[in-house]
Amino acid sequence: MRARKVVIIGGGVAGMQTALRLRALGEEPIIIEREAQLGGKVRNWYLLFPTFIPSADVVEPLMRAVKEQGIEVHLGCEVVQFDNHRVELADGERIDCDAVALCSGSTIFDARLKEEYGYGIYDNVYTSVDIERMMAEGRMPERSPRRVAILHCVGSRDEKVCQRHCSKVCCITGVKQAIELKKLYPKADVFNFYMDIRMFGPGYEELYHTAQRNYNVHFVRGRISEASPLMDGCIQIKAEDTLTGRPLRMSVDMLILLVGMRANDDNVRFAESAGLRLADSGFMRAADLFAGNVRSSREGIFYAGTITAPKSIGEVLNEGVVVADSIVDYLNKQEG
Amino acid sequence: MNFYAPFTLPFIIGTIILFIVLAWKYVSWFVALTHEDKRLVAKGVPSLATLRSVWEVVRESLLHVRIFRIDPRLGYMHMSLALGWFLLIAVGWIETMAYMGFAPVPLQGHVFFKYFAAQGVVTEHKPYFDFVMDLLLAFVLSGVALAWFKRFSSRSLGMRRATKHTTGDRLAMSFLWFIFPLRLVAESITVALYGGGSFLTGSCGSLLASIFGERLLSYAFEPAWWLYSIALGGFFVAMPFSRYMHIFTEIPLIFLRNYRLRPREEKGAIDYFEVQSCSRCGICIDPCQLQADLGIHDVQSVYFLRDRRYNMLKQSVANNCLMCGRCEAVCPVGINLNTLRLNSRALMRNIPNERRYGYFRDIDRSEGSGKVGYFAGCMTLLTPRTMSAMERIFEAVGDQVWWADRQGSVCCGRPLKLSGETDSAHKMMEFNRSLFHKHGITTLVTSCPICLKTFKEDYALEHIEVLHHSEYIERLIASGRLVLERGDVRYAYHDPCELGRGGGIYDAPRTVIEAVGELAEAEHNRRNALCCGSSLANTAITDGQQLKLASRVTDELEATGAATIVTSCPLCKKALQRTAKGGVRDLAEVVAEALPRK
Repeated sequence: MRARKVVIIGGGVAGMQTALRLRALGEEPIIIEREAQLGGKVRNWYLLFPTFIPSADVVEPLMRAVKEQGIEVHLGCEVVQFDNHRVELADGERIDCDAVALCSGSTIFDARLKEEYGYGIYDNVYTSVDIERMMAEGRMPERSPRRVAILHCVGSRDEKVCQRHCSKVCCITGVKQAIELKKLYPKADVFNFYMDIRMFGPGYEELYHTAQRNYNVHFVRGRISEASPLMDGCIQIKAEDTLTGRPLRMSVDMLILLVGMRANDDNVRFAESAGLRLADSGFMRAADLFAGNVRSSREGIFYAGTITAPKSIGEVLNEGVVVADSIVDYLNKQEG
Repeated sequence: MNFYAPFTLPFIIGTIILFIVLAWKYVSWFVALTHEDKRLVAKGVPSLATLRSVWEVVRESLLHVRIFRIDPRLGYMHMSLALGWFLLIAVGWIETMAYMGFAPVPLQGHVFFKYFAAQGVVTEHKPYFDFVMDLLLAFVLSGVALAWFKRFSSRSLGMRRATKHTTGDRLAMSFLWFIFPLRLVAESITVALYGGGSFLTGSCGSLLASIFGERLLSYAFEPAWWLYSIALGGFFVAMPFSRYMHIFTEIPLIFLRNYRLRPREEKGAIDYFEVQSCSRCGICIDPCQLQADLGIHDVQSVYFLRDRRYNMLKQSVANNCLMCGRCEAVCPVGINLNTLRLNSRALMRNIPNERRYGYFRDIDRSEGSGKVGYFAGCMTLLTPRTMSAMERIFEAVGDQVWWADRQGSVCCGRPLKLSGETDSAHKMMEFNRSLFHKHGITTLVTSCPICLKTFKEDYALEHIEVLHHSEYIERLIASGRLVLERGDVRYAYHDPCELGRGGGIYDAPRTVIEAVGELAEAEHNRRNALCCGSSLANTAITDGQQLKLASRVTDELEATGAATIVTSCPLCKKALQRTAKGGVRDLAEVVAEALPRK
């Protein structure tokens, strides 16, 4: 039996896992990655929740395996359009294939759109992505902040910026970063401002309790309404503690915005060229949410990772395996 | 001389009822006017305002100049009915006098003169009057034909959507449409039997005679005049209870308005004149974005006024309005639609709670001092890029600034006022007013057109000039204090409702944009500008519907090909950012960027 070509759009953890599994099943995966290197967003994370292992422990073995298996990788390549038999790249190259796995992930919400939080306007307002990078590069401020506010749901569950969905992983990221901050600055007061705390994964709820019990991280139910700069560089935040029903005003040395995942702008173009369906959130709509959650509405086009919805890294890795199996199934049926 | 015939009875009864109802309405409304309003009337009557009003009555109640401006075909339709009928009555009066001298002639004698003349009241014949009267009748009939045609195809008369009328209005309308064709028939038969007439009644008469023969026509003679009289009488009875009440009411309204009487935030007797001046022409329907973009068809001003007039106004209708003023801008009667809607809301929702405002005491969080005060407003605090841009501009010109609300303050009060909570709104207004006076500023600059409008209209600030930041920046540029580097970026400007139609400020932001780059105009601009959809005044539509309105606006602005959308209202900016593909900036931001680098 000849090896069948499967183009994988996106070389993050979803794409790499899919490629590796397809190779293990004897097929010929080809990864198209827009960036200059593989690894996607996970490469930029510092420690991963809930176990605090370095992100490199997840990404690097995958990258190494892709190399060892000799999987064909196109770096710095954008996909212009595709269907289930052909993928067209920005440089004009066309790749004929037997199936396509769309693993192009999602986009981090641009916190500048929530102008009231002052990101990009005032100093000392960060996104959770900034904090990951600063932690990883050891660039956190040396002087301990007295107070840090972590705001949940920035660009998630927010109709005002047209992002109604829950980004799923920010709650636990907030808990994780709060603990990291407390480890770094034991004397600082760290506040999480949340709407709901959604601890869906294994070990998450436990970590949430650990944060409160062992690290004295504070949780305030209420969103911050606005932030303004003070003379000394601090940020003044206004919020409402909705459990006590009282307005609250606090000056903090750092304001961290837990930015959510939103659908890629490319999705619209991809959906048009390949005849795929979008969900209301702008993410890709899977054939169904149960047995067909890695299949698209079109034959021969499959999804893995956050292209269909926000997911944790573990879930994405599982999907990589599932999608490879589904693709092989499909290819076998095609050949009868 | 006998001017009495049984067929005139319906007309006489109808006329009597009409005048009793009108007199009763006008007298009771006038009596109910406030003292202040009555004083204004007493002062206004012996002034030039009266002459101005007479001229305006001719222009608007007869000629319908404003409707002509909207669409000439529509204007002609309204004019032919109003002016034509008026002239029929006036020339008819002169005609009677020409025949009878100054002899006392009862009303029905004038109206049905052709009948009585044929019955031998007069002996001589004046063909030139026949000609003029025929001409006028033809003029009116052309209007009736257009009105009738408009019912089937409003689009051909420049209206995409016409008013959906109530049964009462349809009945009154049917009477009205029958009056003139019946008059034509009655007069034509009369001419056929007794001679006279001109190109219209004369030829119609010959035609009828040739078809039916004189014998048959002589049987139809009396019934035709009966029908004409019934149509007139029926219309007159229906008139004060239907939309046709506007025919007379617009006249006192024009006078009262020229005497400076206006509806206020509480309901008042002047409102009756305004509400019943609405002819339900439906010109307000097309510009309504709720109608055009969201398919909401029962809240437009014409329906709001109708519901209010018949005491069947629902809160859901009163609340479902952007108060963008697009309908007010085209209303041919010039009704103060926004104010009327506001005071309807106030009546429904104003439940003041004294204890809610205890926190006002000692809440002065203002900073700095200077002759220039800056009030950002809540929405600018939520779009701080605008405020930091203003900070850089103040710094560049070296103005000492008193920052009213940089650390938060009390709301200007307009959002509460717009939602009908006027008493609560006044609590906030009083607080801010004394705050502004306490700090001794002479100029108050705000970036928010919503605040601006209420500062100007409700605050009565003494010795403090209120400026929108676009006006302030324009002055700085004009006086040479602010020097900017002009780039070649194209900016598409979005007129905020509260600044443009609400405050009449169209040029200042445009002048400022032209000082920093190239100005691009959207298809709908200035007085016709579209609303961003996020108006504070509408508490009824959903977020998704707001989004739909916004995307229409950004589509239009982006169609100009400009890279950046500029507006001068923080609320518009927030709204448009949600659907714009490129950047949306406040005017202050683009100005701050054009400051020369040190």
